[in-house]
Amino acid sequence: MTSMTLTTTLLQASDLAISGDGVTIAPISFTLEAGQRLTLLGETGSGKSLIAQAIMGTLPAGLSAQGALEIAGKRFAAAEPATRHSLWGRTLALLPQEPWHALDPTMRAQAQVAETHRFVAGKTAPAANEAASAELSRLGLAQALNKLPGELSGGMAQRVAFAAASAAGAPIVIADEPTKGLDAPRRDEVVELLAHTPNRGGALLTITHDIEVARRLGGEVIILRQGQVVERGPANVLLNHPETAYAQRLLGAEPSRWPDPPSFTGSAQAPVISADALRIERGGRELFRDLSVSVRPGEIVGVVGPSGCGKSTLGDILLGVTRPNAGRVDISREMPRLGRQKLYQDPPAAFSPHWSLTQLLEDLQRRHRFEQRAIAPLMQRLGLNEPLLSRRPGEISGGELQRFAILRVLLLKPRFLFADEPTSRLDPVTQQQTLSLLVELAREQACAVMLVSHDPALVEKVCDQTLTLAG
Amino acid sequence: MISRANQGLSHLLLSRLFQAGLVAWLVGTLTFVLTRTLPGDMAYRIAAGRYGHDMVDGAAAEAVRAELALDQPGLSAYVGWLWDLLQLDLGRSLVSGRPVIQELSHQLGHSLSLAVIAVLLSLLIGPPLGLAAGRKPGGVLDRVSEVAASVLRALPAFAVGLLLIMLFAVTLGWLPAAGHGGTAHTVLPALTLALGLAAVSSRVARNAMAEVSHSAYYAFSHTKGLSARQSFWRHGLRNASVPVVAYLGVQFVYLIEGVVVVETLFAWPGIGHALVHAIVARDVPMIQGTALVMGLLFVLLNTAVDITCYLLDPRRRRA
Repeated sequence: MTSMTLTTTLLQASDLAISGDGVTIAPISFTLEAGQRLTLLGETGSGKSLIAQAIMGTLPAGLSAQGALEIAGKRFAAAEPATRHSLWGRTLALLPQEPWHALDPTMRAQAQVAETHRFVAGKTAPAANEAASAELSRLGLAQALNKLPGELSGGMAQRVAFAAASAAGAPIVIADEPTKGLDAPRRDEVVELLAHTPNRGGALLTITHDIEVARRLGGEVIILRQGQVVERGPANVLLNHPETAYAQRLLGAEPSRWPDPPSFTGSAQAPVISADALRIERGGRELFRDLSVSVRPGEIVGVVGPSGCGKSTLGDILLGVTRPNAGRVDISREMPRLGRQKLYQDPPAAFSPHWSLTQLLEDLQRRHRFEQRAIAPLMQRLGLNEPLLSRRPGEISGGELQRFAILRVLLLKPRFLFADEPTSRLDPVTQQQTLSLLVELAREQACAVMLVSHDPALVEKVCDQTLTLAG
Repeated sequence: MISRANQGLSHLLLSRLFQAGLVAWLVGTLTFVLTRTLPGDMAYRIAAGRYGHDMVDGAAAEAVRAELALDQPGLSAYVGWLWDLLQLDLGRSLVSGRPVIQELSHQLGHSLSLAVIAVLLSLLIGPPLGLAAGRKPGGVLDRVSEVAASVLRALPAFAVGLLLIMLFAVTLGWLPAAGHGGTAHTVLPALTLALGLAAVSSRVARNAMAEVSHSAYYAFSHTKGLSARQSFWRHGLRNASVPVVAYLGVQFVYLIEGVVVVETLFAWPGIGHALVHAIVARDVPMIQGTALVMGLLFVLLNTAVDITCYLLDPRRRRA
């Protein structure tokens, strides 16, 4: 392979810049030699994924790249995306963002890997099947060969996608947010998988917003913010002793570094809601049994567990939307009719997109008759200013919209709030702000909160009590 | 796993069988009520159908009324008909006096051959055009085929048929305008139906393909190194074809409705043609028989669509 020759540079970007459609990524340069790893770290909207797309030559219409690329000894002008297509799969492997969506929903796992062996690496059909089966078994997926993507967990799908993308032996792997939506154990598995490439003499470029991923991968780290390089350096130096204010803020927003919240003082009060010996089955599979939990006014209870373990179903039961197969839910006698509310994971999906926020608030007021006076002070507490209200949900940032969702739900004076991963789509800095506000307000209004998260460190910092579902 | 798959399939077939029974009862009842409420004297119409319009007088009508017991109350007539249906006896045509089954089996063959040719023709025109357009949404082919499909679907079948007759039979003189005989007679009626069907299926195929070509898995199939052609055959075609085939089921409504119009227009001796004549002559058993066969045909075709989707999409076999 390339490592045998004198030039061991696998990927070099010189003044790579992206522009168009209101997007500007300032020129960035980096070099990846055989065996090296580079991580681009930044919050949502920092333009890190566009850099991967510029290298691959898959930028969306309206965006164009400038600068020069050198990939496995060949030079390319970044402005000519089609020139890199012949490298796909053979020299450049792209690990996609959402593996579940990146796999053909109607094709079995083995076939999706075998086709790369056959059509890209040029093996015969039986040899390709053999190779796919061997590779998937090595990744611990021997049982999943005949499964369809819809039957795989997120972590399994990511391993299938990795096997499919790298089957033709491309020396350069680009992983674009490879751990998005995975819980901590699955995330660590993927990181380990990614590390195979540099360990075998390839080069790895990872794009992530997860600081823990950058820390575990090591190598060089570049921190990006709004298309600009903020700081760069070796992972162990940069992630432990950041120099710029932004990098310090970004790293400080990691849940494990959050300050401890004020402790819960209302443990003597009667619970707002309590569940006793719940058992739930979905699709013939038992999700959990003998689950008992109670939440007191102002208490924050964390719910953690792998994807698909029934966290959202538990919420539906406590909210009274669905029934358990066994067990009972008791709610406090003072609970008003709309006293149980939910905060959703994806803020844009929880709003009607075509109306201004003012209109949405007015409709809510007309429907539920809360006091108009309550709006302004709460908005101020949530850091939402008046001019925002004239915009539509799609026109404000995800963090602002989630705070607006909190405003909307708190105006109904809930006694119990089920927050289903409310900050998982927000970047770390915004996540910390949003959650600390939520905790503060819940304590003040004596609203019980059940907070679902896939991040145990976060739950440990925020919650008074933790419920772990095994799955 | 295989037994699970078979279980799914037999469940599907059972529910369709139940549906067929329901359709038979509903269609029969509805046609019964509708023919009873049509204005005009039934006995007169039937007599006219038998002896010709010029030969009918009050006496002939009364003779028909007595013979067919047309003045018996509606409910007992209905119960009698239902009882016959349960014994699979569709009765005799009031006009020709021959068993309805016999008349229908003859006409159904003609209609089916026309319908099958029309569907095959539409599948040759519509989906390939749609798939090609969907690979480049907004391109020239996409826009031209969209306009053509909108125009064709907006025109009723008889208008399309008339335009085709004017062009190919009258102006160019290539094909016969009407009648039933060799292959040449089949071309225009089949094309009339096929164009209407292809107009819709091309757009369904186009949207399905556009969705597939924007999907993350289609992008991934490219970046993992497959050529555009390999991606299309391995990941595009199957995923895009599921909605196209599923939509065919909906289109059969258009087909069955189109058969009635097109057969009348081209004097094609099929079941649609027979239905129109039966309605004019108030030949109630024939109307009920044809409507029933058409309804059952609809269920049968939809079952075929379901089975095809079931085979195309492995997710359904697991569900």
